[in-house]
Amino acid sequence: MITSRRAFLKTAALGGASLVIAFDNKRLLGAGKEATPQFKPNGWISVNADGTVTLTIGKSEMGQGIRTSLAMILADELDADWSRIKLVQASPGPDFIQLDTGAVSSVASSWTMLRHAAAAARHMLISAGAARWKVDRATCSAANGEVIHSSSKRRLKYGALVADAAKLPLPEDPPLKNSNDFRIIGKPTKCIDGREIVTGAARYGIDTKIPGMLYASIERAPWRGAVPRRSQDAMALAVPSVRLIPCSIGIAVVADTTWAALKGRTALAVDWGDPPKDAFESEGHFKRLAQSAEQKGIITRKEDPPGGNSPTVRTIYATYFYPFYAHAPLETMNCVADVRDDRCIIWAPTQAPNALQEEVARFLSMPPEKVEVNVTLMGGGFGRRLAVDYALEAVEISRIAKAPVQVLWTRADDMRFGHFQAASAHRLSAGLNSKDAVVSWRHTKAGSPHNLNPAELAKPREGLHQDLSRGAYDIPYVIPSIETQYVTVDLPIRHGPWRSSFAASSVFAREAFLDEVARIRGIDPLTLRLEMLQGPDTVKIATLNVDRRRLRRVLEVVRDKSGWGETTSEARHGRGLACNVYNGETHLACVVDVAEDDAGKVRVQRVVAAVDCGLVINPAGVEEQVEGGILWGISSALGGEITFVKGMAQQSSYADYRVALMRDTPAIEVHIVPSEEKQPFGITEAAVPPIAPAIANAICAATGKRIRRLPIRSEELTKA
Amino acid sequence: MSEIRLTVNGAKKAVNVDDDTPLVWVLRDSLSLTGTKFGCGVGFCGSCTILENGKAIRSCQVPASEANGRSFITIEGLSRDASHPCQRAWLDEDVAQCGFCQPGMILTACSLLKDHPDPTDAEIDAALADGVCRCGTYPRIRKAIRRAVGTMKTKKK
Repeated sequence: MITSRRAFLKTAALGGASLVIAFDNKRLLGAGKEATPQFKPNGWISVNADGTVTLTIGKSEMGQGIRTSLAMILADELDADWSRIKLVQASPGPDFIQLDTGAVSSVASSWTMLRHAAAAARHMLISAGAARWKVDRATCSAANGEVIHSSSKRRLKYGALVADAAKLPLPEDPPLKNSNDFRIIGKPTKCIDGREIVTGAARYGIDTKIPGMLYASIERAPWRGAVPRRSQDAMALAVPSVRLIPCSIGIAVVADTTWAALKGRTALAVDWGDPPKDAFESEGHFKRLAQSAEQKGIITRKEDPPGGNSPTVRTIYATYFYPFYAHAPLETMNCVADVRDDRCIIWAPTQAPNALQEEVARFLSMPPEKVEVNVTLMGGGFGRRLAVDYALEAVEISRIAKAPVQVLWTRADDMRFGHFQAASAHRLSAGLNSKDAVVSWRHTKAGSPHNLNPAELAKPREGLHQDLSRGAYDIPYVIPSIETQYVTVDLPIRHGPWRSSFAASSVFAREAFLDEVARIRGIDPLTLRLEMLQGPDTVKIATLNVDRRRLRRVLEVVRDKSGWGETTSEARHGRGLACNVYNGETHLACVVDVAEDDAGKVRVQRVVAAVDCGLVINPAGVEEQVEGGILWGISSALGGEITFVKGMAQQSSYADYRVALMRDTPAIEVHIVPSEEKQPFGITEAAVPPIAPAIANAICAATGKRIRRLPIRSEELTKA
Repeated sequence: MSEIRLTVNGAKKAVNVDDDTPLVWVLRDSLSLTGTKFGCGVGFCGSCTILENGKAIRSCQVPASEANGRSFITIEGLSRDASHPCQRAWLDEDVAQCGFCQPGMILTACSLLKDHPDPTDAEIDAALADGVCRCGTYPRIRKAIRRAVGTMKTKKK
């Protein structure tokens, strides 16, 4: 909704046909004083006189391939020469107010806006070419960084038209390319930063170094209000260059090198005393979750057949549990802040540049425009870097130290003090009629809404409880009576976004429980799913669009490609499957083969996945993200969990919080199913939810043991 | 503080650091060779892997005093133009997602291929047993190693 001219200009600056009018004509030639002219019709594109094209990337790269995908969209619609593209990363400011990257899909939200921006630029370049040749603009076209007049076989490079194009009026509604004319979109394209990565030249947050920078390692208070009972300050200060800076979250050990800061912190040996008696324990929390899932909650979906349901002759019940997880990205949290009296400069590996700018400005009581945020590459994000806690730490310490400061978290800090994927319990029941058809479905999720932003918690918005029970309330199957509920359970530890957030737990419970139903009925679980997807092809559930035809198609593809239905004679080998529609957009199914050894250790041997994620920008990127999602799912099913004792996370390393390694890696096949959708949908998160339930279902096929709690423990499997 | 003399990527270097400074911080903080990453500090994840005489070592586990007089290759020294067969293979298989662990993975692969010019899947698994990639690029790392084996064989012919 556009409510004011200012808001309109801001929206326009972000794109759409009106984007171009938000930029003053005078700025078309860059700063005006530059020797070489530039054609810069909007914030996203700058065509340079030397023939290179600089594209601004407005989303943060954390390995999801967004810099490549967004560049592909811009370059294709601009008809630019892919080999002459340069990228710059956007910083928050009046032109860029929506840089935050996460939740649903960066590609989908940027798609239309960027195409309009690029189409406007192409339109102006073609007009400039036509004017130069004094020919009708309609007889000219563009390709590969050139304007072409085909009847006279004349060509002009974009670079040669820069000055002319900049003088032209901005088109209000430039025509977009027909999808048949895409030259870059839809072609497998390699990571645009690949060369920098393999030569070690890629710069992540942790690699930031500015003159005079100090290094800080923070001994964080393990619970709110904790005060050190004892600490060996003298020992810490004996480490050359070490200073101790008490701050709002603990004690910062600041030094001239990373190692001195780390060493000083170890020497400090803070004793934080005893935790409060009511400190959080995860074991007790799971009991509360289980009880809560039996209670009445907020109804997130309720459907009953108008003429009453057919009688239920038997009902199946089960309770599923999803644990606490950490993100554990390879690059631990870090940030460089340089706070001065009248401004602040930040270098941060962040998914949330705008939120970061705002929060830092509020913290420093500075106008946001005085806070410059430089977004670096991220060594993994997964939702962790949507929070800005680590940036505020750097800002606070830089302000006190009166110097630029890099805060670096150790691996143990990262495991213990981040925010977590919240645990949840799911109570499900399915009622079968005399013909064994599923006629009723109940799914109550007991969980906890993110608590990183207290203001958000205080003002529950419409649709909140549906978001919280994503994967439960949007169950895609045709069932006459459906009721899903959400019960909020208080959770005092920090918890927030994690790859595929609320969906992963609900889909685990839903897809594994449906497998239970299939087993009890003695019917093939794939046949059952296809059966339960007969009915209206498309259905709107709250705000989500579920397309059962697309879901059936991905199921049929994995059925055919995996050899589903072939019986295996090998002992303790099994095959399972699961499917999901993520956020009403991306449809994905997978078949998983597992084998269990004598010690009860499960190994995933093969995963076959099929995905329909709408129009595909970069098929290579989609495959890679599905592979990554599969490994993430394997980690969550067979790797570690975070447990809390006396308020503290008990895990502190990759040794006690296991994530998938090379030896856990199965053979993977990814099939991209052609889609009729005209726009792209997200894949990075969508690939995660069906993997864990498919593994659990495969284990049941192999061993007869039903997994209702993640992660899967070999002790449990070896139990008689 | 002592003066430590070492050779990195063929260049002789002298730095003044605490004896117990892990080599990863000597490389990153003192020599500004940030291609070598810090991931865990306890030798588990492999992000800080570098080469010594072609063998992969974890630079977070080598104190500066022990590095004195030794010679190392970091990702920056493998080749600046990505022409090494492993770097090439990594690009051709489009391995990297976030890319943070990849310098360590590439150098681990170089070390593996030195000992086992044609490794089995089990040898690949063993060599990369403790390398953590949270993006899950392992299937492509496997493919890239196979591809590098192919190129290196052709070169030898």
